[in-house]
Amino acid sequence: MRTVCYLAHCLLNANAKVDEGARCAGVSAPVVGLLREHGATIRQMPCPELAFGGTRRFWAVREQYDTPAFRAHCRTLAAPVAEQIRADLAAGARVVIIGIDGSPSMGVELTASAGDWGGRPDKPRDEDYPVTPGPGLFTETLLGLLGDDVAGARVVGIGQDLFDYDEPAELAKLAAAVEHTGAR
Amino acid sequence: MRGDLRSRRVAVVPDAVLNPPAGGADHLTPLAEAGWGLVVLPPAGLPAGTEQAMVAAIADQVVTFLDDDYEVALGWPGDERTGRLIETLSAIGRRVERRIDLLD
Repeated sequence: MRTVCYLAHCLLNANAKVDEGARCAGVSAPVVGLLREHGATIRQMPCPELAFGGTRRFWAVREQYDTPAFRAHCRTLAAPVAEQIRADLAAGARVVIIGIDGSPSMGVELTASAGDWGGRPDKPRDEDYPVTPGPGLFTETLLGLLGDDVAGARVVGIGQDLFDYDEPAELAKLAAAVEHTGAR
Repeated sequence: MRGDLRSRRVAVVPDAVLNPPAGGADHLTPLAEAGWGLVVLPPAGLPAGTEQAMVAAIADQVVTFLDDDYEVALGWPGDERTGRLIETLSAIGRRVERRIDLLD
């Protein structure tokens, strides 16, 4: 059975990250290497923050992006991805959606969130980036568009936007997701 | 603080770079080792509307990188989606000059 992995954009292109958010120059080679070892077909999802806020944007929490315009932008980007995922599922493929835990848009299990963030951007990136359980805005939109079909996909977050990112542990989590079929 | 690790180099490549055919050359590894970030065009076989929407989104990303003086290159020779991206960019008066050799 074919496995198709839908990757958050920045796992193939760290240039889409915010300043100081990147963990590599470009391609997250360990992630791509793992997926290739498993024979997975790899698809790149769009970065919703890049085309909306540009490369010079500050890091932000979910509440700062949570506007009607950004949600519409997410729907525009997510709709063709959802169509492609549906086609893969209909063709009998195993689908794994791989987001970025800690991201306000691409988070899966953890998203950056805080009610008091805003105004002067004086929050240090490595000290108090607050996260709460739940998906980011793009992930939420994509899963909403998939509706009941999401039950056929596995959804996993790689914690690259978390302060305590543990790459071996995250790769093990990813490997487990790729190796097992089934629902979230 | 990690500092800014971004390479500011972005290669827009056909799907075959990410998902090479059996026995095909591995272009991804040398690009990754050289620090290029990848923007991967959609695969062949998608409905026209889906492909068009994806290429349009990629064009927006490319323009964003160009406007911020990132080095942007097209993997060359590209595929039909590469041609559609060039057309989409041309329609808004934009162009990617640099090519990266993807010859096997």
